[in-house]
Amino acid sequence: MASIVAYIELREGAITRPSRFVVAEARRIADSAGATVFALLTVGPLAQVEMDRLASEISAAGADRILCSSSDTLGGPELDVTHGALLAQVAEHLRPVLFLFPAGGVAAHLGPSLAVRIGAAYLANASITVCAEDRDPEPASQRVLLSRWRAARDGLRKIDVGDLERPVVASLLSGPCPPTAGEPYAEVEMVPCPDAKFPEVRMVASQVDAAADLELCQSMVWSARSSTAAAAALRSELPAETCLVTTDEAEAPALRAAAPRDLFVLPSARSTPTTSLPSMSPGATITQIESPPDLKPPRPAQRGEVAERSEAGEGQSSDMAGAAGPADVDLAKLAAALGRARVEGGAS
Amino acid sequence: MIVLVCLESPTPSLASRAALRLACSLGEETEVVVLTVGSETKGASIELARPSAAVRRIIRLQDTAFSKADFLTLGMILAEAARYLEARVVFAGEHSDSEGQGIVPAALAHHLRAPLFARVHSVHLPAAQNGKFENLEILQMTVRSGGRLCKVTSPLPVVLTTSPSHTSDPQPLEVRNPAPALEVLSLAQLGVDASRLVPRPDLLGTFAPAPAEIVQHKSFDEAARILLRRQ
Repeated sequence: MASIVAYIELREGAITRPSRFVVAEARRIADSAGATVFALLTVGPLAQVEMDRLASEISAAGADRILCSSSDTLGGPELDVTHGALLAQVAEHLRPVLFLFPAGGVAAHLGPSLAVRIGAAYLANASITVCAEDRDPEPASQRVLLSRWRAARDGLRKIDVGDLERPVVASLLSGPCPPTAGEPYAEVEMVPCPDAKFPEVRMVASQVDAAADLELCQSMVWSARSSTAAAAALRSELPAETCLVTTDEAEAPALRAAAPRDLFVLPSARSTPTTSLPSMSPGATITQIESPPDLKPPRPAQRGEVAERSEAGEGQSSDMAGAAGPADVDLAKLAAALGRARVEGGAS
Repeated sequence: MIVLVCLESPTPSLASRAALRLACSLGEETEVVVLTVGSETKGASIELARPSAAVRRIIRLQDTAFSKADFLTLGMILAEAARYLEARVVFAGEHSDSEGQGIVPAALAHHLRAPLFARVHSVHLPAAQNGKFENLEILQMTVRSGGRLCKVTSPLPVVLTTSPSHTSDPQPLEVRNPAPALEVLSLAQLGVDASRLVPRPDLLGTFAPAPAEIVQHKSFDEAARILLRRQ
């Protein structure tokens, strides 16, 4: 039977949400097309009780079997020099048709090198479609199609896993946390970690990346430059796994690793060039938030009055203006709308 | 110490522009060599490299065989060029602005048998206590991985990639006259037999025209309800 490997990323000892999504996607394909889902977990030295906890979560997400490798080397950052040899060893052993990485930047470290080593195709930020293929008179079979945007966003690249006589390595978007899809406890197999190819590589120090939440977020709200207070007010209202990004933060390196499922663009950020937006997979959606028609056309703000959206004011900081700028107004409107939606949700 | 920067030709990607910025930040102990592939004698890559004070040489890899080289082959050729030029540190963009896959740097590192570090944030050469750069066989860098900024040291040679960035290119540190001339390197000089460059099957997948963007228009209230439903 064919194999699918789902790589599990841990952050501060916890399985990332995109990793659970990757396992769930592998489960979805396996249920349709027939395959065994292997989850690959790489950890530093870990107590058995912790290992059991992680295994239980992974199997609940949909894994049939869990491969776990534990060593000092694997406890550090997920780099090709530390993890690459293990991944290649697993791929050589299992010969999977698909090797999936979660969103969050780990694929940039491990994906391309693995693809080169095992002669696989590589797709970053891919979406997976499973569709039935009618082969009358033979029984219908399932086709697994992976697609991705070219970086230039001028077209898609598509690969039919069945047609390609090679494995496919792919990273997926940051999708939803699935309901329990697997058994409470899957089989765990310990895999020895091969010797490091470059043992001289040393980690000197590390610190938490304050912007790292951007890498994992499932939904992203995109705003023009706003005041700090307005941004903070909306952030306190946003649901979990949702990040607010202002155009000031468009250059944050962490943003380059983000692959949100949903991107909400506020009216004040409508003119943002698409090259500044995060990578989107074909399965992701962009929602352009519109102001109600009765607020249009915009008129210049009067002194001491809350500004409506205006072309001249777009993207300008409102901190020194004394009155709220268009971005601040948008943020306040969304915060209020979230409050109303919560009340409606609670009432229903 | 030779630091090689691979720039796409004729137009460098945002990521490889960032790579050039990082390479130029290594200081006077290094000699930055810019390598482009293609037949162009002009273009944004060369115009970008020429005024950079740290750039000592600009080399164009030129051969008719490049027309049939895929990204894996290109990585192999760049590795041969890095060996030929005795580069100790190789910088490249994490991915191109066209396909955006990042296979070329991975293939380069594979063929150079050098460690590959992606998402590199900063680099520097560790100086001895007396402030001198006595050990140029080790590079220290900060990489983003697993939600952390990790300071790592690696032996040389090493291949580093950087994420795309719109930050403006650094100003030249000094006015230099004359700017480095454009040199040309062929596959034969690298010892690569062009007749053996057989393209591999296309691993990029089939091309499909861009579909209409999935853009939906919603009010604030509708968007808020969608956001909450995603949880």
